[in-house]
Amino acid sequence: MRLRRAGLILLLLLPGLGLILVLIGSVIVMAFGQSVGYFALTGESGFSWEHWREQLDGRLLWRSFQYSAYIATTSSILSVLLAYPIAMWLRRPFRGSLFAGALLKAPLLVPGLVAAFLFINVISFHGFFNELMVWLGIIDRPIRMQNDRNGYGVIFLQVWKNMPFALLLLTGSVQAISDDVLNAARDMGAGSIARFRKVILPLTVPAMQAALVIIFIGAAGDFSFQAVAGPTQVNSMAQLMVRLKGEFGGYHEAGVVAVLLMALALFGSVALAGLTRFAVRAGMKV
Amino acid sequence: MRAGTINRILIVVLIGVCVLWLVIPFAMAILWSIVDPSQAWSYPDLFPARVSFQRWVDVWQNTALKDALVNSYTLAPSVAITTLLLATPTAYAIGRFEFPGKTAVQVLSLLPLVVPGFVIAVFMASLLLNLGLYNRFASIMLGHCVLFLPYAIRILSVSFGLVRQDLIDAARDLGASPWARFHAVYWPALKPGVLAALIIVFIQSIEEFALAFILGSPDFTTVPTILYSFLGFNFVRSNAAVVSLILVVPNVALMLVLERLLKSANPAMVSGKG
Repeated sequence: MRLRRAGLILLLLLPGLGLILVLIGSVIVMAFGQSVGYFALTGESGFSWEHWREQLDGRLLWRSFQYSAYIATTSSILSVLLAYPIAMWLRRPFRGSLFAGALLKAPLLVPGLVAAFLFINVISFHGFFNELMVWLGIIDRPIRMQNDRNGYGVIFLQVWKNMPFALLLLTGSVQAISDDVLNAARDMGAGSIARFRKVILPLTVPAMQAALVIIFIGAAGDFSFQAVAGPTQVNSMAQLMVRLKGEFGGYHEAGVVAVLLMALALFGSVALAGLTRFAVRAGMKV
Repeated sequence: MRAGTINRILIVVLIGVCVLWLVIPFAMAILWSIVDPSQAWSYPDLFPARVSFQRWVDVWQNTALKDALVNSYTLAPSVAITTLLLATPTAYAIGRFEFPGKTAVQVLSLLPLVVPGFVIAVFMASLLLNLGLYNRFASIMLGHCVLFLPYAIRILSVSFGLVRQDLIDAARDLGASPWARFHAVYWPALKPGVLAALIIVFIQSIEEFALAFILGSPDFTTVPTILYSFLGFNFVRSNAAVVSLILVVPNVALMLVLERLLKSANPAMVSGKG
């Protein structure tokens, strides 16, 4: 009977979870395998570190890695930092709070490529922003802002698109804290900053970690924002991978980039989440 | 200052910020899409000198937009229905059974969301090449199904969890056939979730870029890939504006429907107890 039930559950999991595991598993095996010389589409297939050596020796890969790590870290932290005060503001309903929430979450409905297009329209040489600054007399002539060297445009886009997501997670978590807890803290003499640091932050750590992890992974693997609004002298990891695969048909080289990108997404996001917990704990003790 | 006054001031500030980050960008996209080709919109004109729908006509007649729309809007419903069918058994197991390793199952089903989209796209392309499979529509469809299964599984397992065992037992005791039980007990609890899953997968499939771009290149275009081509080497601002609006507007309308559905999916209503 128990065996039959286990069999039934296994059978039920097969089309959904089974398909996910088979396809995503094969994709990961493919990326690893091709990075070490297997599954060659042309020529000989066989184990070799050559593609790793070749990529790790070049400067291109390390610049991309650093750049993607920088964009992912900055974007995820900024999104969460911006979302916190807004989530606190929307904690208790007031007149207009639903409207405010809807306005803030609107960017979630805009696809990435469209967001990138809207953004470069506003900051382009004769775009709205430049013309406004000239009209206000802040600058004499339009300045070039598109594809800036530091990737500020990409970070802005990431925050624009992801802050609402962080807000969504944080609002739910902040609203779940009961007034009793906060009132008790107040009665015991905690000021608003102490209440935030010692009550709200620790209770919302899981939501904050989830937001950081998801935004970090998305931003580390970004292609669209980078291709449209990013600096032209450096590639993001996803862009480099597509370039290696497309320009030279180099699946093996792309495999090396893919493995490093997955490592960045995994370890980077876990490190960020761990550091957050550590920082919040340290904040409680001070 | 009273809390009410502070809130009012903050809302005014927020509206100001939203004008900057939503209204102006979209207004500019709309304006760019209706600039008449005969007269360019250039510095220092604040508004286009002549407006017409000629750009919309041009994009419709002279680019691959028609094909892209047909592709996207055939792909998305196929993906939505297939994903729903694939997700239902897994969601049923998660929602209705307790078994060891259930948490692991739930975590593993999120796998497609944590592997970067372009890694999946590039190495799925390589996998299909290795297997000798070249059908672009089928490849993208398979990729989309796997990519969006986590959403469908999550939404439907919550719905299955809302189906009340006492109602199922009562229906059975009263002699209801399996179909009658499904119709009277399961369906009312499942309906909002099923519709929500269909809509969310549909929207995600329409908007998805990485797989459509890598697996579809060079000749299978969807709306996002055609938008990317207008944003890339041959940057045509007005065409990009037209395609952006075509991509955004239907999806926003669908999302509003989705929000209502998700609101209506509360346990009290589904179980018939307020």
